[in-house]
Amino acid sequence: MSVLVKAKGLTKKYGRLYAVDDVDFEINAGRIVGLVGPNGAGKSTILKTILGLTGCTGDLHVLDKIPRRDRVSLMRDISYIADVAALPGWIRVDQLLTVMRNTHPAFDQGKSMEFLSGTDIHKSQRVRQLSKGMKTQLHLALVMGVNAKLLVLDEPTLGLDIIYRKKFYSQLLNEYFDEDRTILVTTHQIEEIEHILTDVLFIDRGKLILDMPTDDIASHFTQLTLDQHKAEQARLLQPLNEVGQLNKVVMVFRDADKSRLQALGQLSTPRLADLFVACIEGADHD
Amino acid sequence: MDIQWREDQPIYLQLRDRVKGMILDGSLPEGEILPSVRQVASQFQLNPITVMKSYQTLVDDGIVEKKRGIGMYCLEGARNKLLEQEKLQFITEEWPRIVKQIRQLGIKPEELLRALESEE
Repeated sequence: MSVLVKAKGLTKKYGRLYAVDDVDFEINAGRIVGLVGPNGAGKSTILKTILGLTGCTGDLHVLDKIPRRDRVSLMRDISYIADVAALPGWIRVDQLLTVMRNTHPAFDQGKSMEFLSGTDIHKSQRVRQLSKGMKTQLHLALVMGVNAKLLVLDEPTLGLDIIYRKKFYSQLLNEYFDEDRTILVTTHQIEEIEHILTDVLFIDRGKLILDMPTDDIASHFTQLTLDQHKAEQARLLQPLNEVGQLNKVVMVFRDADKSRLQALGQLSTPRLADLFVACIEGADHD
Repeated sequence: MDIQWREDQPIYLQLRDRVKGMILDGSLPEGEILPSVRQVASQFQLNPITVMKSYQTLVDDGIVEKKRGIGMYCLEGARNKLLEQEKLQFITEEWPRIVKQIRQLGIKPEELLRALESEE
């Protein structure tokens, strides 16, 4: 399996603040990786370092290149949709396609047009006439035309209604993704994409707190729902966290003995959002 | 389409059971091509690896087979095979539980037969 992104000791300081603090991770080809963390955790900073938009210390290789140094050649193989739709309002869709054709050496206009034909966007429309959802689709159309190995999405569905959010990911899976392509995505709406992800990177206050294929979560993490009166017993097994729910308590355990947990209550696999909270609270204990 | 996945079982197994259900109720006839991995991934918002894993369990069970260049298709005899599996599962797993309940409630066989007859 080829490694697309390799970070070792990745660090970024803003003044005295560590936005990214000594982070190691790898991203393999053909994966859909979710970079998850609260506001200000360092998600966008990591994306920016991968795109070469900001400097950093430590070792960072993207497609065997050093992003900050090889930015121009790197951009042939990376697509990026930022949280802020940055297309100028006055430009027409057909003009935008022409600009892309003239600036991107590998742009395939036919592919973009094909995607657009499945939307309500017309070539003669200006960007400012498009709804927020349509603008995102326009971005997606441009991404389809760039045969990128790595697609970086920073809160791509922010501000979209649920219909367009679902549509966005459906189209991404149906028309873009295949085993030669890799997606790195950040989002707050983790519930919506948790089953799409093949891997998760949890980040909090600049530190990586979990790096795991989603397939492995069930074997490492267990959620236990139990009656209040058994909680004391369960606490001895060192849960990462616990949340009260009516007369029940919900605890998340890492690498615990499942047969011992089984005797205390009901076992399940935590959802990503719950796991994320557990990992943050578990890290605070240490 | 929206479905809620349960948390007590991996999604690829839940998806497998859905496909089995489609074969059993006839909505996926034998000899028919299964929806592509891409289609299913897109429709159910799942990563394609999960869908492939799910299909692979059906291949391992001898329910579907991969045809080069076409995709997965439902094998002849798949429905009967599934039916046998389901029957066996009912008799070995569910039936003992039901029997236990019948005993606990003290229901007599004739009472059950009468209930069954009134159903028909």
